[in-house]
Amino acid sequence: MTNEQESDAAAGWRLASASDIPFVYELVTRVDPRWWRFSKGGLEPAHVLASTQAIAAGVIVYNGGLQPVACAILTDAGTSGTGTLEYFALPDESAQALARAFAPAIVNAAFKGATIRRLYHERFEGDPQILGEMADLFEVEVTYPRFALVGGTLETRTISVLSRERLDAWNAQTLEAMAP
Amino acid sequence: MITTARIHLRPVLPADYLRLYEIENDPATALTWRYRGEMPSLAGYEPALWKQTQQIMVVEGRDTGVVVGYLQLHDLDLRAGHGWFSLYAGPEHRGSGLVMEGLMAFTEWAFGEWPIRWLYAHSFEHNVHSFESGLRRGPAQRLGVLRERMLVDGALTDVHVIGIDRDAWIPSPLRRRFNLLRNRRI
Repeated sequence: MTNEQESDAAAGWRLASASDIPFVYELVTRVDPRWWRFSKGGLEPAHVLASTQAIAAGVIVYNGGLQPVACAILTDAGTSGTGTLEYFALPDESAQALARAFAPAIVNAAFKGATIRRLYHERFEGDPQILGEMADLFEVEVTYPRFALVGGTLETRTISVLSRERLDAWNAQTLEAMAP
Repeated sequence: MITTARIHLRPVLPADYLRLYEIENDPATALTWRYRGEMPSLAGYEPALWKQTQQIMVVEGRDTGVVVGYLQLHDLDLRAGHGWFSLYAGPEHRGSGLVMEGLMAFTEWAFGEWPIRWLYAHSFEHNVHSFESGLRRGPAQRLGVLRERMLVDGALTDVHVIGIDRDAWIPSPLRRRFNLLRNRRI
């Protein structure tokens, strides 16, 4: 076992708290402008803080050294039984690998923690894929061509959705595959 | 202001608020429009009307001087270069084409005066027929459908996302015809 594998064994995720705000702000700056909720109005801290008002819940993914490496938030969870998952990791491979590994647990937690029928996920075409095994379960419903400039290129943005039924089927299939 | 043969498109005035309130309060559409049956009181209407809104343009019939509907430009995102619009038609003028003429004037106005590349709109399934002509004839595109997105009057409904691309609008035959008729018939 390598040192990295050893340290990743202690990695995990937990609910976010107010003390995580400095990390979230740093994460927003590290992936700027990809976390559009925060970046679209610029990175003035008070503005970023004000943009957290619609957040229903958040979790932090941490590495083996208990350092935060990724953040997921659930927003727009309303009376229609839908919510939006926003999920970003520090732009390095080890952080993104941890984010991918914990994505199934985080997505399941989003459905369990709130009465959600359909979970939306928005992303730019150039965003790193950190939903791991969940990525193919989300189905694209809306495509905004040439949505915004990212690194000098107008990137397309999509809204995809995962229904509770589709997640339940995946969970059942996964459990079945793990059965002896 | 933009004037066509049948309408004026002009910025809203406080004197128009009562008429706008009547239009939005129509029982036939109150549940499927913005407030979904929870209209604010008249006293609280002005801040609700302008919430997240950059500009409101009313569509006034030239023959009658009556406000037949209005369009809102809202949730502008100048970094991305887009804005959203909402369209409301008075009950007695639905199907007359006046408000859709207003939408063409609004599109011309918005792309002419705001630094945006896209106009987007959400439309509940119940109302999307209003956009079908624009979707068939060109510059408007259906960017997707959010299935069973909203609970309206106890039932789940789809929400269509409509987009108008400035790059498609400017050279479009629809716009050329609109401006030709506008100039010829004023």
